Amino acid sequence: MYDAIIIGSGISGASLAYELAAYKLRIAVIEKGSDICSGTSRGNSATVHSGHDAAYGTQKALYNVMGNAMFDQLCSDLKVPFIRNGTILFAINEADMEEVRRLKHNADKNHVPGVEVLDRDGLLRIEHYFGPDVIGGLYAPTGGIVCPYTLVIALCEQALRNHVDFFLNNKVMCIQKNATGFFVTTNKTVFQTRFLFNCAGTHADEINNMVSSNKITILPRKGEHILLDKKLAPYVRATISQTPVNLPSGGHTKGMGIMPSVDKTIILGCDAHDVTDKDDTATTAIGLDEITSYFEKNWRHLPISEKIPKFPHNRIINAFGGLRPHSTTDDFIIGESEDVAGFFNMAGIESPGLTAAPAIAKKIVQDAAEKYHFEKTDVFIPTRDHVKPFRDMNDEERRQAVMENKEYGDIVCRCEMVTKAEIKAAIHSPLGATNVNAVKMRTRAGMGRCQGGFCSPVVAKILAEELSIDLTEVTQSGEGSNIFFPKNGNQAKRNSQ
Amino acid sequence: MKTYDLIVIGGGPAGMAAAISARENGCEDVLILERGSSLGGILNQCIHNGFGLLTFHEELTGPEYAARYAEKICALNIDYQLNTTVIRIDREKKVTAINADKGLQILQSKTIILAMGCRERPRGALNIPGSRPAGIFSAGTAQRIINIDGYMPGHNVVILGSGDIGLIMARRMTLEGAKVKVVAELMPYSSGLKRNIVQCLDDFGIPLKFRTSVVKIHGDKRLTGVTLARMDDRNKPIPDTEEFYECDTLLLSVGLIPENEISDEAGIPLDPSTCGPVVNNDFETEAEGIFACGNVLHVHDLVDFVSQEAASAGKNAACYIRRNGLSNKERTVRLFGSDGVRYTVPQILNPDRKDEDLTVRFRVGEVYQNAFISVFFNDQCILRRKKPIVTPGEMELIKLRKEQINQFPDLKSITIKIEKG
Repeated sequence: MYDAIIIGSGISGASLAYELAAYKLRIAVIEKGSDICSGTSRGNSATVHSGHDAAYGTQKALYNVMGNAMFDQLCSDLKVPFIRNGTILFAINEADMEEVRRLKHNADKNHVPGVEVLDRDGLLRIEHYFGPDVIGGLYAPTGGIVCPYTLVIALCEQALRNHVDFFLNNKVMCIQKNATGFFVTTNKTVFQTRFLFNCAGTHADEINNMVSSNKITILPRKGEHILLDKKLAPYVRATISQTPVNLPSGGHTKGMGIMPSVDKTIILGCDAHDVTDKDDTATTAIGLDEITSYFEKNWRHLPISEKIPKFPHNRIINAFGGLRPHSTTDDFIIGESEDVAGFFNMAGIESPGLTAAPAIAKKIVQDAAEKYHFEKTDVFIPTRDHVKPFRDMNDEERRQAVMENKEYGDIVCRCEMVTKAEIKAAIHSPLGATNVNAVKMRTRAGMGRCQGGFCSPVVAKILAEELSIDLTEVTQSGEGSNIFFPKNGNQAKRNSQ
Repeated sequence: MKTYDLIVIGGGPAGMAAAISARENGCEDVLILERGSSLGGILNQCIHNGFGLLTFHEELTGPEYAARYAEKICALNIDYQLNTTVIRIDREKKVTAINADKGLQILQSKTIILAMGCRERPRGALNIPGSRPAGIFSAGTAQRIINIDGYMPGHNVVILGSGDIGLIMARRMTLEGAKVKVVAELMPYSSGLKRNIVQCLDDFGIPLKFRTSVVKIHGDKRLTGVTLARMDDRNKPIPDTEEFYECDTLLLSVGLIPENEISDEAGIPLDPSTCGPVVNNDFETEAEGIFACGNVLHVHDLVDFVSQEAASAGKNAACYIRRNGLSNKERTVRLFGSDGVRYTVPQILNPDRKDEDLTVRFRVGEVYQNAFISVFFNDQCILRRKKPIVTPGEMELIKLRKEQINQFPDLKSITIKIEKG
């Protein structure tokens, strides 16, 4: 019997687990994927929004601004890289400037700090270059970037250190309510809990509708991104997009933007298309074409165009898709259900959900604690111990690292400089990686320009050794995604043994 | 701190040949740094034959070819470190490397030879839409899985791209019992060698479809199929030509990219056409005393040419030390490729440097039949050679005699062109 069960381990579930862990509760997170953070929080723009554009009066606006303010402390506690690189919306005509002024007004009502309307000279004080057509724009200095899955992993690891249980590969099939709480039946087992928290991303409506008669609908809205090689990192600083007037995708996006990631690759995107499959994160020809043709056309406005005059097709290293869990109410659905006591929603957490989630989680937990008299534990540890990645070490730190652990001298992923020591640590970490993608998400092995061409077989071998399994059992992303098969000869040999 | 005469970065065919030649030309302290667990580089996974016809006048497998050089490395007592990754080099010829036994080392050398080879273009660089299931490999990765690790990457295979590794893997997977359904090539010609198309596809009845590409990837956990379509001249899919191929494996053989990250970070200028360093006729980059050879300089079709080029780079590094670093760069002649010639190596000729013939290697951008390769000294055509066929898949070379060059004291540029017959 648990006190609290959280369904889903994306940014919402992870934030809730971290907040709830501060109380004397038995807590479990159940996740249908083979790894934590395997849905929406894995593929998005990695942006910590300032809150200038969330419509005033909405929950999105409220929690966006609150959440943004929490990031410095949270990321410092969890040792997660976070950079306030600032957000710029540039304008190329008077209609754009009109929108800039409207957004400034909206930002002020939302209490977003420091937002300015700038003319061309003002913009050029922030970025050294803009194309000649750019006449001005909006500057939001609190806009930032974070690696979303690094944040989710850190939150989950810290929740685990504070005694939260995690159950992967558990898909919720049905939920029954009784006098003392809930029975949650998954494909694996049945859990019992007093309180239930719905953080199921694009599937949050299914979970809610199993429990509550206040039905909700979550529509998966796809966004696609293109990644460029980190060689371009020196030329991309702020998150920059055009004022979202007359954009493709009918205004469902905050605009086509270019932004650095904390790992120095460059992210371009994203578009927005409603889809039907709630797990379909495939990229599409239309989507990729939309992004490339947008940037081909508008590259000349961007600061990077001073040094790299044309959209650099040859610098594309990958593309990825992600799903926004869009609620038909067009706002976050958060808090205790009106008709089912003890059932809490954190649903419809689409953009600016990554930014807002820590604040929403805090609020939900505070309210629940107050109403149900949760007692704070005095052993909660908010700060995470985290070893600096090898690629961020200086020579002296590297020298020291190899002296302490020889495997720091064994570079497995040459593009991202990931060592065998780090890969083994990721496998043996609290929520250890069990497949190649999980190693990749924790270490960046395979995320560089060769995209795992050299290192993925080596990573697979290390997984096999550390997990004491055969190489043929190693998967890319969980059950059914095996990478290696026995050669015919080997098969015979194995059978005869 | 000890100062090496030469540090060679990479112990593949280029690095080994360069080190041997440097030693034979008088370099004493030579060190090879290799990140793999043995010398030989990618040759170790190329277990097919066809190597060494030019160098040894017999057909060897990749590992055999590599072994001949590795044995010589041992015989000449050339020092090497395996499992060692070079993190950084600088123009002062300082090399920072790391391995498990020695930890982080900062090594000083008089000269450096870059011989890091190349990597394969990954799926991401192609921007193919679809999901991201297991079962998509670059051809070289699949080759390693079969030949080194001893496993199969899958059983029903589609190959995108007709580069040499893709062609070799079509045959290799077939021999291992897999069904290779088709090889799709975006261009109207193959970037592989003719002999590989015959021996690896035709002999096994594997179809090769030109002007065809993968337009969608299917499958959630493991690849379940790909959609191929015919492509128009702008490389956009032609409507109603889509065809679904059920497969669990997609191999990509869509190009090789010289691995010049550490050269680039050291500020060594690269040629955007080759993605390798700009070099002069000594294979010296624009950073003095730093030379480049093999696939890190430009991608080769035949390892024999790599060895030749590397031997020359090694010898030149030895000469550089002998003349105490001083180099005569007073006269500089630029080499250009135009009218179908994509690039030349070298890109620069310093004619006073030494008195020998000049070998220029180059590639063309498309297929030409019965065309002329013409060489211009300044604006004057000095050579015109008819070729029945020149293709992007086969590197061309042209030799210019020293007498020819010496006849032109005012030589400013050498241009190589394709002129249609």
